[in-house]
Amino acid sequence: MLILEFLVKRIAQGVLILFITSLIIFTLLRVVPGDPVRLIVGGMAPDNVVEEVATKMGLRDPIIVQYGRYVGKLVQGDMGQSYLRPRNGMVATGGQYIDPTKSNMAPVADLILERLPYTLQLGGLALLFALAMAIPIGIAGGLHPDGWQNTLAFGVQSLFVSLPNFWLAIILILFVSVKLHLLPALGYKGFSYTILPALVLAVEITPFIVRTLTTSLGEVMQANFIDEARVRGLPRRRIVYAHALRNAATPLINLLGIQLSTLIGGVLVIEYIFDYPGLGDLTVVSVIGRDFPVIEGIAITTSAVFVFINIIVDLVAYLIDPRVEL
Amino acid sequence: MERALLLDVRDLKVGPLDPAAAPILDGVSLQLHASEILGIYGESGSGKTILSRALADWLPETLAYRGGGLSFAGADVLGRGRKSTFRAGRDIAYIGSKPQSSLDPTTPVGSQITEKLRSVRPDWSPRDCRDRVIQWLGEVRIPSPKERYWDYPAKFSGGMMQRAMIVDAICAEPAVLIADNITQPLDVTIAAQIVTLLHDLCLRLKMATIYLSSSLPTLGQFAKRTAVLHGGRLIEEQPFADLIARPRTDYTRKAIASVPRIWATSEGPLARRVSHGEAPLMRVEKAVRTYKARKRGTFNTFSHIQAVRGVTLDIMPRENFGIVGESGCGKSTLTRLLSWLERPDAGAVALNGVSFADLSERQLINKRNEFQLLLQDPHNALPPRTTVGRMIEESLRIRRRTPAKELRAKVSAVMSEVGLAAALYDELPVALSTGERQRISIARALILNPKLLILDETLTALDQREQSKLIELFSWLQQKNDLTYVFISHDLAMVRRVCTRIAVMYLGEMVEIADNRELFFDPLHPYTKALLSAAPTLEEKPLETRDLLLEGEPPSPIDIPPGCSFASRCPHAFARCLVETPALKARGPHRLAACHLLDAPALAAE
Amino acid sequence: MTVSAGALAADEAGAVSQRSRSINRRILGAAWSTVAFKLGFFVFVTLLLASLTTPLLSPISATRMKVHDRFLAPLFLGPKWEWVHPLGTDQLGRDMLMRCLVGLQYSLMIGVVTVLLIFILGCGLGLFAGFKGKWWDLAIMRITDAQLSIPMIILAITILGVSRPSVPNIIIVLALSGWPLYARIARSAAVTERDKEYVRGLRVLGASDWRILVLFVAPNILPPIAFVAVLDVARMMIFEAVLGFLGLGVQPPTPSFGSIIADSRKYLINAWWIATSPGLFLALALTSINLMGASLEKARNRIFGGL
Repeated sequence: MLILEFLVKRIAQGVLILFITSLIIFTLLRVVPGDPVRLIVGGMAPDNVVEEVATKMGLRDPIIVQYGRYVGKLVQGDMGQSYLRPRNGMVATGGQYIDPTKSNMAPVADLILERLPYTLQLGGLALLFALAMAIPIGIAGGLHPDGWQNTLAFGVQSLFVSLPNFWLAIILILFVSVKLHLLPALGYKGFSYTILPALVLAVEITPFIVRTLTTSLGEVMQANFIDEARVRGLPRRRIVYAHALRNAATPLINLLGIQLSTLIGGVLVIEYIFDYPGLGDLTVVSVIGRDFPVIEGIAITTSAVFVFINIIVDLVAYLIDPRVEL
Repeated sequence: MERALLLDVRDLKVGPLDPAAAPILDGVSLQLHASEILGIYGESGSGKTILSRALADWLPETLAYRGGGLSFAGADVLGRGRKSTFRAGRDIAYIGSKPQSSLDPTTPVGSQITEKLRSVRPDWSPRDCRDRVIQWLGEVRIPSPKERYWDYPAKFSGGMMQRAMIVDAICAEPAVLIADNITQPLDVTIAAQIVTLLHDLCLRLKMATIYLSSSLPTLGQFAKRTAVLHGGRLIEEQPFADLIARPRTDYTRKAIASVPRIWATSEGPLARRVSHGEAPLMRVEKAVRTYKARKRGTFNTFSHIQAVRGVTLDIMPRENFGIVGESGCGKSTLTRLLSWLERPDAGAVALNGVSFADLSERQLINKRNEFQLLLQDPHNALPPRTTVGRMIEESLRIRRRTPAKELRAKVSAVMSEVGLAAALYDELPVALSTGERQRISIARALILNPKLLILDETLTALDQREQSKLIELFSWLQQKNDLTYVFISHDLAMVRRVCTRIAVMYLGEMVEIADNRELFFDPLHPYTKALLSAAPTLEEKPLETRDLLLEGEPPSPIDIPPGCSFASRCPHAFARCLVETPALKARGPHRLAACHLLDAPALAAE
Repeated sequence: MTVSAGALAADEAGAVSQRSRSINRRILGAAWSTVAFKLGFFVFVTLLLASLTTPLLSPISATRMKVHDRFLAPLFLGPKWEWVHPLGTDQLGRDMLMRCLVGLQYSLMIGVVTVLLIFILGCGLGLFAGFKGKWWDLAIMRITDAQLSIPMIILAITILGVSRPSVPNIIIVLALSGWPLYARIARSAAVTERDKEYVRGLRVLGASDWRILVLFVAPNILPPIAFVAVLDVARMMIFEAVLGFLGLGVQPPTPSFGSIIADSRKYLINAWWIATSPGLFLALALTSINLMGASLEKARNRIFGGL
């Protein structure tokens, strides 16, 4: 019952956040300079052609009207169509005029759905790598706050957080892929193409996990109930894994939600560098090409994923520690 | 009959890891036989807890055994090798003084006790363990043990949690039990219940027990054989009655003398009689305060916590009015209402005839000159990183009426009035004792020339000596500045010593108001009687604890049953009590009590 | 609820002994005593001085192109190198060392100014929301929620991707993405303080909420947050580099780490030093800042935990 009410409340809030986010992006795009129509028809086209196309596309109406129209279609599941990509997949380049008012442009929803799995695969693998690296180091560091384990954790975390992700990506491409031919780098022709980008992303995520785990585990181990568990007869292994870790996981999970924002940024850059066909790559190209519908669609998708993951995170936190406010 | 020697401690020495640092235990020797109960008295800081931990082979990482021997059932514990079968939790069990933080807050209480049982008695089946735990939870009087098994520690009150920890300790059937200051965090009536409960269990299960406490009277309830811990050693050991009557060491003598006397004399601060036509200084009329807390997980459902439910009081000038009650009775909320930190939802609070609710912001700040509040915890009550002088100045600075030049003079004057050295003006209060910090609180209140001082557990954190000094200061200030005091406390001994008139509070209401002497020697309300009988003292009590032992815990302030709020625990409740709330009626000159038993003269005869 | 013998003895004695040095000084002292902090500090100061003074003093320019000198390798590390270009030159003959130092200047400046802005804005709003509560709290927290759900990159690409990115714009975008975190932290600290006894004591004396907030609560809450803000300088510097990489940062011909590395991708195989040296520089600067920041954080946690 409790959980059901929580879900209903959070989903309602989530929808609200989606609307606000989409409204912000929508308005921002139309307010900031850079006219998509000009990019579509080409820099040489006369002004009246630009105006004519823009009006036909509905871009000269007041923003509220445009937004209303957009939301209307959205609720029916239609995210509009790309300004730049026709259905057959080729991006329009300057000089070629493809009339966006004709309906042979790729639907945004399709574009996104096509690429979403790749990004999710990348994110999932990166998370796996990060946890595999961070959890042992974090636990060791937390259990031995004055030992070499803690120094190691500290060092690893400081080092990883100082490596700019794009630079690391380039270095790894250079050494691992080009010089040593161990793993493929650019594009996507199979699962192995995900490994290198995931590794770079994992390096970005790891420091935060190590830091939080070390600190919170170190604190929990000082708690009264951990100490008393010893005289009550509980074996050390049980004390650490069944009780200390449980309590230490809560701050980690709480902060995970906030970290998500940074993660999405990282995904973007890495997909761009590795030419990885995910949402990030699509985003960069679309923004530079002023492809409004795609940008808006991605913003909504990202927000939705964000909201969804936050809900899961809060639920897991509650299951671990029932003192958490749902 | 020879009883087996269970614990043999010989010249045990314990100290910090650095061998040059002074030892904490310096040669403790004792012997404990099966079914024996030994009480150990040690004041705060004497090393009591370290001793209790050392006996259970549970020293913290910063301490080490420095010498001596400890054997359990003939086998050496300290030097034991891998083959030793000694197991903490099974052979020796420990109950501590911090029940609320003794279990993992994220796992249900029952499961944790079962987990412990499975760890130390691996040959017992899981189902068997769980059944035992539930049964024990029932034996220690935790209601609905099957449901409570699955509750989390946060849902247990202090008393309930301590009962659960008792179950945790004894369910594995240890041979030796060590109970360290187990009643320290508990209210007086709950503590009385726990002590009786544990004593009965120890006798029934024939467990060898060591009971440590910093309160001599509690020891008397528990053990016959008593030892005194001082300077890292057990300096004396006698049966309890002999120890009190004929102490052999000076230290014990002083310890006995410092236990406050409640019943020894029937004298006490005399109540100030009201001269005709004199108006009360502060008047509280039917004050009600309810808090709304959102029910967890719901969107819009609130539970109502009725903290104060219709309190009416008159506080006369120059008297020392005491308000006593245990935790949860609403006295903290009442304090906030009296000091106008919160407004009552209904009813009024008036000072010198002027109701606070009628005043504007500006007028209120002025009115605050006339009454002030002193808080309990001097460490947290003073703003951090502020010098002593600046803290006291703040009272005047807020009002912006004193020019900077005069500030220093005024503050210095009031500092000397309360006994603070002038040199402390520009010092941070970090090195000051608790008593001195309280003086700072007094100073910053006094500088406004109030007529009424409300003291919220102000003397509770102090030891006897500092308490006495402050009480002297208070009476001197009262003479000099014509002050009236309201003392809010749960410490009956202090209230007996200082207050002229006392009100007893229970679940948001006043159940009895009487003069000092009459309240203590002729209490009318059953709750007052239970409270007084549970107060630990060394003297002969006019009320015997066992007769008046209360059952269970007070109902939650969210769910107060109709009728008399005390009915659920009252040994003399009858039909009317469950239906009609008794009113606070006069029962004699200057006496008020709220109890149906007093209405029917036949039933009141006891 | 710590369990050391010291805490036990203190519990029993009933008096907590405190040293009289102010808390902030103790945190600084504790951090300074660690090797990590000293190492980070010295490296940082060296880099800072180098980046500020060398471009002024050295005759070599970061932007002048000398086609004759293209693709010079760093010292000892390639077929062709010269003393005067210790880190080599890039595809247009520009000196790498100078470019890195100038890039570092901009990086540091943007990082520090952004963090200052975030701190003032975020903590200001957060303190206010936490202490006043109710409507203010609700409103400000919802705004932070909305802001947090728009990742920085998207915001940056949207705004900077179309207008010519200038240093003030970059700072604004970075600040917009960073303030919500500080607002949250300041708010929860304020909520905790609000319920403390000393606040109640001051209210009883007649102090207004504003007075308490400004004179007592803020000086208590802000220093611990400020210590950890050091770490965010590094974070902002990385963001700035990422923006530069995407072409949204400080525009050429002014060198910036991100843009240098972005350009260097074409020459990766033949002139690997064009990519590595700026990265190393940046990593060095960031590591030193992170060492300092993390030591401060550790010291702060230890000292506050022990209180």
